Amino acid sequence: MMRALLTGNGPSAKLIFPMLPRLITTALCGFAVANAVAEQPPATIDLSKFPAAAVEDVVVPVPSEIFIVLDKLGTPNWKGELRDHLGTNTGNRAQIALLLGTVIADGFIAVEAEDSEKVKQIGQEVLVLADGINVRKAVIARSKSITDKAEAKDWRAVRSELDGALQDVRGAMQELGDDELAQLVSLGGWIRGTQVLTSIVGQNYSPAGAELLNQPELLNYFARRIDEMRSRNLKKEELVVKVRKLLRDIKPIIGKDTITVENVQKVNKLTTDTVTAITSEDQ
Amino acid sequence: MNRRFLSLSPVRVLVALAVLCLTPLYATVDDALSFAHECAVPYVKQGFTIREDAWGGDLGVKDQKAVTAQLFKGNEYWFCMATDVKGAVINVHIYDSQGRLAESEAWQKGRFAAAKVVPRATGTYYAIVTIEKSPQERTHWALVYGYR
Repeated sequence: MMRALLTGNGPSAKLIFPMLPRLITTALCGFAVANAVAEQPPATIDLSKFPAAAVEDVVVPVPSEIFIVLDKLGTPNWKGELRDHLGTNTGNRAQIALLLGTVIADGFIAVEAEDSEKVKQIGQEVLVLADGINVRKAVIARSKSITDKAEAKDWRAVRSELDGALQDVRGAMQELGDDELAQLVSLGGWIRGTQVLTSIVGQNYSPAGAELLNQPELLNYFARRIDEMRSRNLKKEELVVKVRKLLRDIKPIIGKDTITVENVQKVNKLTTDTVTAITSEDQ
Repeated sequence: MNRRFLSLSPVRVLVALAVLCLTPLYATVDDALSFAHECAVPYVKQGFTIREDAWGGDLGVKDQKAVTAQLFKGNEYWFCMATDVKGAVINVHIYDSQGRLAESEAWQKGRFAAAKVVPRATGTYYAIVTIEKSPQERTHWALVYGYR
C-alpha cells in the first residue's frame, strides 16, 4: 500500500526539507540511542492473529545482503562469478526488465570483486536497458554516481547507489503504470543473486552458507506477484512462464532446515538455466 | 520567459488546487520517512548500509502492523521507525517466524523507535510496529532498515 509512496523519486516536499531540523533530528536520535529505554515487549506473540491486511509484503533483499555474509564465511572468488557478456536486449519489455535486474545484481558482484571498470560498464548498461523500458531519465543521475563512486572505490556508496538505481527504476515504472513489469526487475536480480549464491556455496559447501537459501516467504511473494498479474499477455510471456516454473521447482528445496550440497547444486542449475534464457537472444 | 507556464487556464487552476490539496498527505508520509532516515544516521556511522526500500503508512492509536523481512544469519540489522507527528509515541519490535522476540536491543523515544536483530537463523522475521499514543486519529509512520 503506502510502500509505493516511499519508493522511487521522493515527493518534492523532501527537497525543501531544511537542513537545520535534520541536524536537530540527528542530534535527538543520538540522544535517544544513548538514553532511551524501551518498554519490555512480550516475549512471544501469535502471528496468526494478524489479519492479512495488517501484514506488509516482504522487501526484496539486495544481493549484497547475502554476499557480505558469504564474505564473512570465506573468501569467494567474486571475479570468477562476473560475466563477460551481460546479455542481449531483445526489445521484449519483459525480457529487458528481467535482464536489467540481472545486470544490477552483477553490479553488486562487481562491488564484491572490487572491480571498478566492471562497475562502470554495468552503470552504462543499466542506462541502456532503462532506455529500453522508458525509464532512462530516472537513472541518469544514479548511473553517473555509480561511475563516480566506483572510480573513487567507495564500495559501500556504490552498493547504496545500485540499491537506489533498483528503487528508481521500479518507482519510475510504477509511475508509468508498469508496476507488474517493475516486479520482474526485482525477480531478475533475485534469480541472478541466487545463481551466484549457489555457485559459491556449491564450490565450498557449508551448512551455514546453504542456510542463506532459506527464503520461503520471499519465494511465496514472487509467486504471488506473478499469479496475480493483471496483464494476461505479460503472464503468458515465455520468460515469465519460465520464471514461474523456476519458483515452483525451487520451492520444495528452499525452506528446509538443512539444504544439502546436492540441493544447492540443483538450485544452481535451475537458476543458471533461467539466467541463460533471460540473457539469450532467442527470446 | 516561456509564457505557456504563466497562463492560468481553468484546467491548470484545478490541477494546481488538486496538487495543493494532496501535498500535505504526501509530505506527511515523506516527512515520516525523512525522520526514519535521520533516526538511522548513528547506525550508518557504525557501518550499516540503509536500504532505499522502505515501509510506511498510517495507523490509529494502538493499531499494529506486521512488516515482513527476509533476514540472513551472519548479518546484523537495525530497524528504524519514525513519525512526523509531534507528541506521538511509537515502537518497533522484531519477532521470528515462530512469534518469538528476536531482537537483541531496542529503544523508543517519542516519535522515534529502533530495534536491532542479529538473526540466529536465516529466514522470515516480522517487525511489529505500534502507535502507542498520538494526538492525531491517524498517524503516519515509516520504517527503514540497515544491514552490515
